[in-house]
Amino acid sequence: MRTTQIVEAVLFSSDAPLRSEEIARADESLNEDVVEKCIKELTKMYLDAERAFEIKQIAGGYQILTLSVYAPYLERFDTVPKSSRLSMPALETLAIIAYRQPIGRIDIEYIRGVSSAGVIRTLQDRELVDVIGRGDGLGRPLLYGTTKKFLEHFGFSDLEDLPRTEDLPVILKGEDIPDSVGSVISEELETKNNEEVITTGQKIDDLAGGDGVIPLSPPVE
Amino acid sequence: MKTHSLDTGGAGEEIFLIVDLERFRGPLDLLLHLIKQQDIDIFEIPISKITRQFLLAIRSMSVEQIDNAGEFMEMAANLLRIKARMLLPNSTMSGDDDPRAELVYRLLEYEQIQEIRAHLSVAESQRSRQFGKGFVSPINRIEKVEVILDTTWDEVYAAATSVTVPSVNIVEHKVTTRLVAMEDKVDLILLTLQRLKRVEFSGLLKPFESKMHGVMTLLAGLELARKRKVKLRQAKAFSELWMYRVSESSPEAVKSQLNPSEG
Repeated sequence: MRTTQIVEAVLFSSDAPLRSEEIARADESLNEDVVEKCIKELTKMYLDAERAFEIKQIAGGYQILTLSVYAPYLERFDTVPKSSRLSMPALETLAIIAYRQPIGRIDIEYIRGVSSAGVIRTLQDRELVDVIGRGDGLGRPLLYGTTKKFLEHFGFSDLEDLPRTEDLPVILKGEDIPDSVGSVISEELETKNNEEVITTGQKIDDLAGGDGVIPLSPPVE
Repeated sequence: MKTHSLDTGGAGEEIFLIVDLERFRGPLDLLLHLIKQQDIDIFEIPISKITRQFLLAIRSMSVEQIDNAGEFMEMAANLLRIKARMLLPNSTMSGDDDPRAELVYRLLEYEQIQEIRAHLSVAESQRSRQFGKGFVSPINRIEKVEVILDTTWDEVYAAATSVTVPSVNIVEHKVTTRLVAMEDKVDLILLTLQRLKRVEFSGLLKPFESKMHGVMTLLAGLELARKRKVKLRQAKAFSELWMYRVSESSPEAVKSQLNPSEG
């Protein structure tokens, strides 16, 4: 029995992404580095053997998923409900939360220009966002952030998988930001004074630590 | 599908815009559409022209849509405010402070969010085409059994006619301005406590009649107490509530602490 097969057995039997340290728990001979090496080996094996599945990096972990070319065949089996797709307003709201977290409802509504309480509740019910802290303003507003389920739903490994704002066609330039827009941006203006382009994406770098994990603790007062 | 032709307004201009309001997810979406369709430079928005088109578009909203019209109305008011500010001579502000700057920023930010939304949509659709363990379950599907209907045509007809069409409820909305602001009550408490060491809650309410003043004064008092700017004391339940001065803090200093996010 080889370590690669142990890793394969663990991955095969799981229906959710597993982190390498979780997989390593299976045997004393395993550690995170060995697991990563085994996964590389398995990935190559599956590719060479033209298997119908692959190991995908999702939400900081690994999961065996079927290749998308086989979707039409599997979709004929309707025994398990398909995960329903999100509506346009829901995706829009999620985009704002993903890039601006932690963010309160009032700020979300200011960016969207429409009331968003219902959409936020829907996203919360689907566990794609959650309350991750409270703001300092009047009434201490709830602040929202994305969850691990968010990464799973979109097949992202971590928040770094989202496009960087400087790669998007629409880029917000520093000189066009009025003073009244908000403290988040003015803070960035102060810290990044020398750079010409100011983007919301920098928030993500601040949030995601070295291992790409979003801290889920409320901000310290 | 409702479409409306809009006269773009300019003298002799024969461009007509087709606007389908149901298509838009909000006022920013509609504004961006108007700007893009006419190839307008976002940094040089002709506010009066855009405002006229915007107002025409929301005027053509049907009664059923009016429930969601508040946000469009707010934007219309915002556009008019910007226009008014542009007409005023710039006495206090520097010359390069364009009243349109905030709107331009909001539009760009909104457009950027739409780019990200499109990206999320693609990622979601890709992910939904890959399946993990447990997608195909071994549970047998329930076999469809043929049942012979013993209902007669008369019974079906009677059931159909007994269904009443639900009447459309017309809901009347009353829009009132916010009469009492909590900020005013914060000021009132702090100013009173500058003169007096302590004040009765009922004393603060005396000049006012509406219940809303009581609610807002209480909220302001609680908020100030939370920020340790006043002390609240009550001997026993339902007895008089007293507010005590804590330190000599000016209303401005306290308010800036209450709203740190409003830069």
